[in-house]
Amino acid sequence: MRTFRRAIAVAAGALSIGLAATACSPSNPDSQAGGGSGGAADRITIGTTADVLNYNPLVGNSRTDTWVTNLMYPRMMSMGMDGVRSPYLASKWEYLDGGRKAKFTLRDDFTWSDGEKVTADDVAFTIDAVAKEKIGVVAGLISSYQKSTVISPTEIEFQLSQPDGTFLENVGFWMPVVPEHVFSKVGSVQKFANDKDWVSAGPYKLTTVERGQRYVLERMENFPLVEGGPKTKEVVFRVFPDVNTEALALRNGDVDLIANALPPPLAKTLEGDSKLKLVKVPSLGWAHMQYNTARKPLDKLEVRQALAAAVDYEAIRRVALQGKAVSSNSSVLTPTLKQWQDPSAKEYAHDPAKAKSLLTGAGFKDGNGDGLFDGLSLRMIYDQADPNISKWAQLVRDSGKEAGIEIKLEGLERNTYVEKYTARDYDIYAGSWAIMENPPANLALAFKCKGFINYANACDPELDALIDQARGQLDQAGQKGPIQQAAKIITDKVYDNVLYVEEFTIAHSAEWSNFLVQPSELLSIVNPVSVAQATKG
Amino acid sequence: MPAGARFVTRRLLRGVLTMWFAVTVTFFLLRLLPGDPALAVADPGMTEELRADLLRDYGLDRPLAVQYWEYLTQLLHGNLGVSFRQNQPVLDILLERLPWTLLLAGSALVVTVALGIPLGVVAATRAKGTLDRLIQVGGITGQSLFIPSIGVFLLYVFGVVFGILPIGGAMDDDVYGLAAYGSIALHLILPCLSLVLVQLGSYVLTLRSTLIDALGEDYCTLARAKGLPNRKVVWRHALRNALLPTTTLVGLQLGFLVGGAVLTESIYAYPGVGRAIFEAVSQLDFPVLQGAFLMLAFAVIAANLLTDLAYGLLDPRVRTA
Repeated sequence: MRTFRRAIAVAAGALSIGLAATACSPSNPDSQAGGGSGGAADRITIGTTADVLNYNPLVGNSRTDTWVTNLMYPRMMSMGMDGVRSPYLASKWEYLDGGRKAKFTLRDDFTWSDGEKVTADDVAFTIDAVAKEKIGVVAGLISSYQKSTVISPTEIEFQLSQPDGTFLENVGFWMPVVPEHVFSKVGSVQKFANDKDWVSAGPYKLTTVERGQRYVLERMENFPLVEGGPKTKEVVFRVFPDVNTEALALRNGDVDLIANALPPPLAKTLEGDSKLKLVKVPSLGWAHMQYNTARKPLDKLEVRQALAAAVDYEAIRRVALQGKAVSSNSSVLTPTLKQWQDPSAKEYAHDPAKAKSLLTGAGFKDGNGDGLFDGLSLRMIYDQADPNISKWAQLVRDSGKEAGIEIKLEGLERNTYVEKYTARDYDIYAGSWAIMENPPANLALAFKCKGFINYANACDPELDALIDQARGQLDQAGQKGPIQQAAKIITDKVYDNVLYVEEFTIAHSAEWSNFLVQPSELLSIVNPVSVAQATKG
Repeated sequence: MPAGARFVTRRLLRGVLTMWFAVTVTFFLLRLLPGDPALAVADPGMTEELRADLLRDYGLDRPLAVQYWEYLTQLLHGNLGVSFRQNQPVLDILLERLPWTLLLAGSALVVTVALGIPLGVVAATRAKGTLDRLIQVGGITGQSLFIPSIGVFLLYVFGVVFGILPIGGAMDDDVYGLAAYGSIALHLILPCLSLVLVQLGSYVLTLRSTLIDALGEDYCTLARAKGLPNRKVVWRHALRNALLPTTTLVGLQLGFLVGGAVLTESIYAYPGVGRAIFEAVSQLDFPVLQGAFLMLAFAVIAANLLTDLAYGLLDPRVRTA
């Protein structure tokens, strides 16, 4: 009897585990059975650290969201390594009527996966939805947009409230185009999850989602930007929350490419592996500290200059970034955007003595002789989950101490960090921009009075006027002069202390080649054309 | 009412009360987290009307007490809400993940008990011998291991150096039927091993200690005096009594197992509820967090309930107490 009971218990345990395994194992879908010949050459597996949160390309803004939806929805423009825009869905763009109107001419060979043509109506629907519902980052970049007129299936014209030389590049680079015949039926576009029956016009179409595990995309044979269509039949994104596991999977051959940039120490360990190739990808942004000029004593220029002189920039790049970063010469016009760069820009010198002298000149004293100026204790916030900033924040604190400045570090959990910087509740903000690719537009957001991301709380009429002047110019040649002057003011008045421009390391299996490298972690070699033209062997 | 029925009813009522307590604490604790959940739902750049509209949709515009009451009401209807970030029902998201966590935690529990009991018996019956000392050192070392470190180490050794086990994930792509079961089993080995290594020590050491005590009791001495073989004294008489604290441990350790699953599932890219928690915390996705915590709380409460009932079966004194 006892043996029988034991057998029942064992059987019950085995059955429970068996049932769990059964619940986990997939049924054999017809589509998969039909295409079962998927050999290694027919598939590229891409590692990512997070699941897709939102399949709506206008709303989803995590890195994985962008990588996946970029393969599904076209944009008007792409970008070269020098940051210059290149055609994608749009073949031509121009300003008309002194900049009051802007126009895109589209290619006529893009087709949605359900057979409908991609037309100017889709573009008009998308921009109207973004403007009306104020969706995401794009809404903030098209404040001059009034209305659009579809001239023909391949031509669309926009009416602007004022001449805005940033409009076309902003729309072209940032706004994915969605199918009107699908998205117009959903009510609020902002609330549309777009989590099934995907209709795509990029090189790939999402077909299978196994949350927590993988996202499978199948090629769109008629994608026109790669001759003969995408080379690889299937793209699979596999999720590895831990980057070390992800790197082991790459070394093991379980994944072919890691989409996210590798942390510098991990990149170093992979450098000698002959089975891998490491690609250097320049950032389109920068890492920086901004001093809250709305607070005393940071409203004094001498104090900000002293803080800038107290930073050992070279040590930050060498130690915290392990050499995987370059100097931006303390300018917001970074070396990645060569066409904007100011050759006369020069990095702040690390000079603790000068910092002390500036502070003494500003009236600060070290009354108790403890090596620190009295009444000069500053609170610096940063995201503690950012491994790079967590490292250099300590260097900043230590070098600040050398110059007699006490900097109290506040490494915060991400959500608290967002809340604090949104409320401008800090003395020093430490962070980084991922993409600042359009200086006239970006500087307006980051440095104009009440700018949405003006974390220095800067309000400088001269600076505002120069930025407005640049935005009113309709070509880069006209914008360059005022933008370089604006950047010089930002450096001279220390509205932003640019520390470095990161050089991302993206790793892929040496078996794969023919990737197209684009700047920034979001584009890198996971941009649509790159994935579509990559080949194995 | 018979004593047995009274015992079961009391335990069930206690389970329901504990569940309500867990629901309430989870609801209010999450609201104490730093960060404004409205930031997760509504973009600061949105128009006020749209922002208000979104907050209303998610019920975030109402007083906390009203939100709590609404949450309880919905919960009784089996509605865990909609994810802030994924715009999908929380129940769907969690049910998709739950089987993986059950598989991992269940397998780890079974393997741990299956290894822990014999090892505990061996250690107790050879107390202070070399084998006993080795088992003790192994148990203590295992308890001090940190799952992410052991995880990466195991993956490197078995995945990269020997190349015999897969790295991360729960199964290979495009495998079905028997091949899928094989793939699931292979992917389960390392995460399960990590959990077993970390928790095996507590079972072995607890059982060793209680079994040594039991073997010194008069009834064991009497059994030996009656000429019963030592094997029977240990396995039939002493072990049954020594298992009581170990049974309690199973219930308690289940909490550790599901907690440990957060780290284990992240390291091994295992698609369970633990990982959903990990992701939801960083996204401040309250509905998913609430749902996941409730699911885990339910699992722990259910396990403890079963443990209590098993305790009653093993020791009749508990039923009548």
